[in-house]
Amino acid sequence: MANLAKPMSVEKVPVAGVCPECGAHALKRYEALSAGGWFQVVKCQDCLASVERKPWKRLGYVDRGHVDVILNARKAAKP
Amino acid sequence: MSGKIIAVDVGGTFTDVVAVEDGRITTAKVATIPASSDKSVLAGARALGVSDASVFNLASTAGLNAVLTRRLPKVGFLTTMGHRDILDRGSLVRPLEAITDPTWRRNFGDAGGRPIIPRYLRRGVKERLNAQGEVFVPLDEAQAREEIELLKRCNVQGVAICLLHAHRNDVHEQRLRELVLEILGDLPCSISSETSALIREFHRASTTVMDVLMKNIYGDYTKRLQKGLDEVGFKGEFNYSDCSANLLPSDYAMQRPYQLLMGGPAGGAVSAAHFGGVIGDNNLLCADVGGTSTDISVIVEGVPWSAPTFELEHDLVVSATSINIVTLGAGGGSIVMATPEGDIATGPDSCGAEPGPACYGDGGIRPAVTDAALAIGILTPGGFLGGKKRLHPDLAMKAFESLDTPLPLAQRIRYGWNMAINNIAEGLLNISIGRGIDPRDFSLVACGAAGPMILPCLLDQFPIRRVIVPPYPGLFSALGLISTDRVYSDHRGHYMVLDGRSAPLLNRMYSAMEARLREKVGADQPGLRVLRTFDARFLGQSWETPLIEAPAGEIDEAAIQTMIENFRTTYEKLNANRFDNLPVEAVTYRVQLVLPAAKVTYPAAESAGPPQPIGETTLRYLYDEPRRAFEYDREQLGIGAAIAGPAVIREETSTTFVPDGRTATVGGHREIIIQ
Repeated sequence: MANLAKPMSVEKVPVAGVCPECGAHALKRYEALSAGGWFQVVKCQDCLASVERKPWKRLGYVDRGHVDVILNARKAAKP
Repeated sequence: MSGKIIAVDVGGTFTDVVAVEDGRITTAKVATIPASSDKSVLAGARALGVSDASVFNLASTAGLNAVLTRRLPKVGFLTTMGHRDILDRGSLVRPLEAITDPTWRRNFGDAGGRPIIPRYLRRGVKERLNAQGEVFVPLDEAQAREEIELLKRCNVQGVAICLLHAHRNDVHEQRLRELVLEILGDLPCSISSETSALIREFHRASTTVMDVLMKNIYGDYTKRLQKGLDEVGFKGEFNYSDCSANLLPSDYAMQRPYQLLMGGPAGGAVSAAHFGGVIGDNNLLCADVGGTSTDISVIVEGVPWSAPTFELEHDLVVSATSINIVTLGAGGGSIVMATPEGDIATGPDSCGAEPGPACYGDGGIRPAVTDAALAIGILTPGGFLGGKKRLHPDLAMKAFESLDTPLPLAQRIRYGWNMAINNIAEGLLNISIGRGIDPRDFSLVACGAAGPMILPCLLDQFPIRRVIVPPYPGLFSALGLISTDRVYSDHRGHYMVLDGRSAPLLNRMYSAMEARLREKVGADQPGLRVLRTFDARFLGQSWETPLIEAPAGEIDEAAIQTMIENFRTTYEKLNANRFDNLPVEAVTYRVQLVLPAAKVTYPAAESAGPPQPIGETTLRYLYDEPRRAFEYDREQLGIGAAIAGPAVIREETSTTFVPDGRTATVGGHREIIIQ
């Protein structure tokens, strides 16, 4: 079961290295949703250049636990 | 004609060079070096003695190729905060095949993977003008400096600036440019209010971005060319050809170099229009068949059809008046392939300049249309490019044998050839019928090296009046650069309902543009013509009818009435309705100053008696039985010479094929007319 008490937020993990575009030491790895779906990206937090970009889980953070919560809520709402 | 004029047209495979002096035309072809085409240009110019030329005209594809291949300099884009994805969304128009395809993406968008400027280099600036051009949010200079500093850390080589509603008021764009130059130093910086002061922010933004890219590309390119020309002692005028194949002095062209993007393809259309005037045939379809593609243009009553914008890729719009050219993926290098079902298809894939068709012997293993022409016997192994390149029939046959299809060899070759012709016929039919033209009233000008070989076969499939093969068909686009004028132009955008009240503002706009251009051109130039046009629509429409003639002189109430009448007449011609009760709203205003330039003349042909064959070839696979066809040398054909098909007419830069049942006649200016 998903923990709905904790607000969902993207955790940005620092990555060692220098941005090849602007030279800043500000690379972080995190998940991003774009027109092509969810990606795991490494981006410079200074200029926002994408240094790495790999397809991630198709539904992103949504997992079976979230689906169960929604289904249970709908069941409970029915008279 | 005064002095020698040299024109150079850079193609994908060859760079075509023509020189005209005292009415005499000399030609040369040099191999294009794709990585540094300026070297090919200089080699071609030297080959025809540029040192004593008075004019040097160039149609360059360096910028176009850089955009299509995305070998672009790194530039930044500054726009109003919240609008940096203008360059990603385009004009929101999807192609027909993408209407029901959720995975379709714009090629130049971020999701398409080939952005012109990546998102991190597109930065928002806090400012806002309203639609009247009044300052709504003042420019936040501190925030703008931060963004420009970031671009500096990213080592950009230029900056494009396009702010919302800047075509009405350039105050923020001008200040931003000052900041860019202060922080980044002397690098190319284009602002939309100067580059393309027109309505519609995406068109304005993409044009401004192209401008700064071309300033980078053509800035160095022009310096290298000028240096090379100086070294050989050239002291004349150096002109570029723009999207309408008008000539622009090189220093003037560098002020708005985005206009050079489509300079190459436009040459064929202008050349056809000029030659049509010489032979008295002003309704033409022009098909320029190259190695990879066929460029088709339409000339009605001696004037090539033009448009106020063009697209480099789907929805990648550039606002520049340009000759309307439709490009089909069919040419001499189009690949003949077997479909999964075992049928034969031709194009749009091309073998390109490298490795080229299999028969070139340069490593190509897939059969192309040129291989089919060699296998059929239209081309001969020793007669290609005036004998400069030897073709290999065994390699061509081997390439056809390698196709994965149960069809016998003869059908593979015949169907491959016929499919190439059919593709062009279908394209021509769509273009002509789709635009309300009856092709039976039009002649087809066959140019490009492969045009005279392929296009006469269209007479069996496409209802065209006749096919005309002009002199020097393989260099016809280059001749277009000596068939046109020098043109200086300016434009402005402003929504304005046309009535008596709009006259003073309209008068000020046209007068100001004209005065600025006269200042550049110089006063009292002999033969100077002023052309005014405007784009307009009925109030409430969201699309304009472009390039309507506006009266010269002062714009008063009577002139406004003339403009309204011109609009309704043009609209009626195109749409069969004139809506006399609807108000007319003008949107874009243009001024052109035209300076006549020396043009190529085509000498009258002389009589040379009955045509004498120089040889004989056997045409295989094309007909049910092999047929013998006489070969002729075009140089030896005089006016009135008539040749019955099947026959082949050879010249150094091209080969003309006269199909069975057709007759070729030599006209008064050495044109070959097949009907």
